[in-house]
Amino acid sequence: MAALLRGLRAGRTLRGLCSVVSAPPAANPQCSGLTRGIHCAALRLQDESKSDKPPPSSSSTTHHEHYQTHSAEQASTSDPAAEEASRPNTSYQDQSGEQGEEYETEEQLQVRILNAALEFVPLHGWSMEAIAAGAETLDLSSASTGMFYNGAGDLVLHFVSHCNSQLTEILAEQHKQVQLGQAEQKRTADFLRDAVETRLRMHIPYIESWPQAMSILLLPHNIPNSLKHLSTLVDDIWFYAGDRSTDMNWYTKRAALTGIYNTTELVMVQDSSTDFQDTWNFLDNRIQDVVNMAGTAKQVQSTGEAVVQGLMGAAFTLKNLTGLNQKR
Amino acid sequence: SLVSSHKPKIFRSGGLCMLDRMLRVDHAGEYGANRIYAGQMAVLGRSRTGPLIQEMWDQEKKHLEKFNEILAENRVRPTALLPLWNIAGFVLGASSALLGKEGAMACTVAVEESISEHYNSQIRALMEKDPERYTELLQVKFRDDEMEHHDTGLEHDAESIPGYWLLKKRYTTGCKAAIYVSQRV
Repeated sequence: MAALLRGLRAGRTLRGLCSVVSAPPAANPQCSGLTRGIHCAALRLQDESKSDKPPPSSSSTTHHEHYQTHSAEQASTSDPAAEEASRPNTSYQDQSGEQGEEYETEEQLQVRILNAALEFVPLHGWSMEAIAAGAETLDLSSASTGMFYNGAGDLVLHFVSHCNSQLTEILAEQHKQVQLGQAEQKRTADFLRDAVETRLRMHIPYIESWPQAMSILLLPHNIPNSLKHLSTLVDDIWFYAGDRSTDMNWYTKRAALTGIYNTTELVMVQDSSTDFQDTWNFLDNRIQDVVNMAGTAKQVQSTGEAVVQGLMGAAFTLKNLTGLNQKR
Repeated sequence: SLVSSHKPKIFRSGGLCMLDRMLRVDHAGEYGANRIYAGQMAVLGRSRTGPLIQEMWDQEKKHLEKFNEILAENRVRPTALLPLWNIAGFVLGASSALLGKEGAMACTVAVEESISEHYNSQIRALMEKDPERYTELLQVKFRDDEMEHHDTGLEHDAESIPGYWLLKKRYTTGCKAAIYVSQRV
């Protein structure tokens, strides 16, 4: 694996050399084809090798074209949460060798606008006004909201995905700490509670308007995406909690956590206690319920097995008594 | 290791991704094969063919363990139909064993043939895509094991059962349907 990565790094430098030489395409088609192939393979393996390194720190761009993660990983390893929308994307300047220095994709632009728009959500709610206001802070005309076909839905989905990425980063960081022996592995119940609490706390700045956001997520055309985000969130949490099951438990665990998350979210939006203490108590109780249920299920199973053993033994004894067991 | 990615799965085009489907159906296949041999052992376990079936079953158990690891590593969702394959596999194995040793062997031949063909087409697809990336996954060893089981079945008079071709046809069709469904659900 490491040797393969070294080979691919060599491939990347080769690509760099080829672009520096920049002979006319006709002269070395093989070189560019080869380097393109190496580049593609490098990008794919770069995606895969993320498990060996901390995930790309730029949360809002992890899900864009892979060369961005490729370049972001190189540029921003020392610069964690730097990719906030209001600054131009300077980190891509030197890295995206195939793009010009000032080039920004439409997706990156959308992300910048949406991030800026989040500031205006407390004022305008989850709406096109917020997006327009965000665009204006970036010195863009408010007509640029035209590129958001889904309007408020885009803003909410962006926020959800942003929070999920942040949570994933936090969990990955904790995981790394545990691997390095610098922290102790939490019990599953505590881990789940902390993860859900961390994720729900990200809603606190927008809690007044969160019911509006939730209803936007429930609109029919947004449901596929919001479900995908939810299932990804739950899968990530269980993965970092150490779940490696490959049977029906995979489904039951995720279903249970989805239920816990959704109900806690609902409690949170109408919670008026200090620092949402009622919500966290509710969360504790729900998690305890699930733990108890799992324990009960195990007990039922082992009781069932014991009963079956008992019955088999009784049947065998009966066969002996009635002489049916003898070989004639 | 392969694609143990921290990126959200929807951006790895989750369940529709070719690799995900392949791993899911392979895992389901090994799970089903396990249950089939378990069914056969339940009926023929104490007969002369018991040890032979037990040996093939042990190899399948190893395959299943390996796939459990691969699935967990790559964060692939297991098929939701596992309980169905649990029961169906056992019933298939037991019912084929009730037809006698030749019946059990005919079932083995049919199932292993389907599985080998399936693995071959997967290997072709992976080789087409990107051989270096998937070398670890080119389960050539598993395919060879399954072919060995197939040949063992033939050696032990699978073909001597009356209605062999009909039986075999039914088993292979069933396997194909199971493979199709497990890739998606």
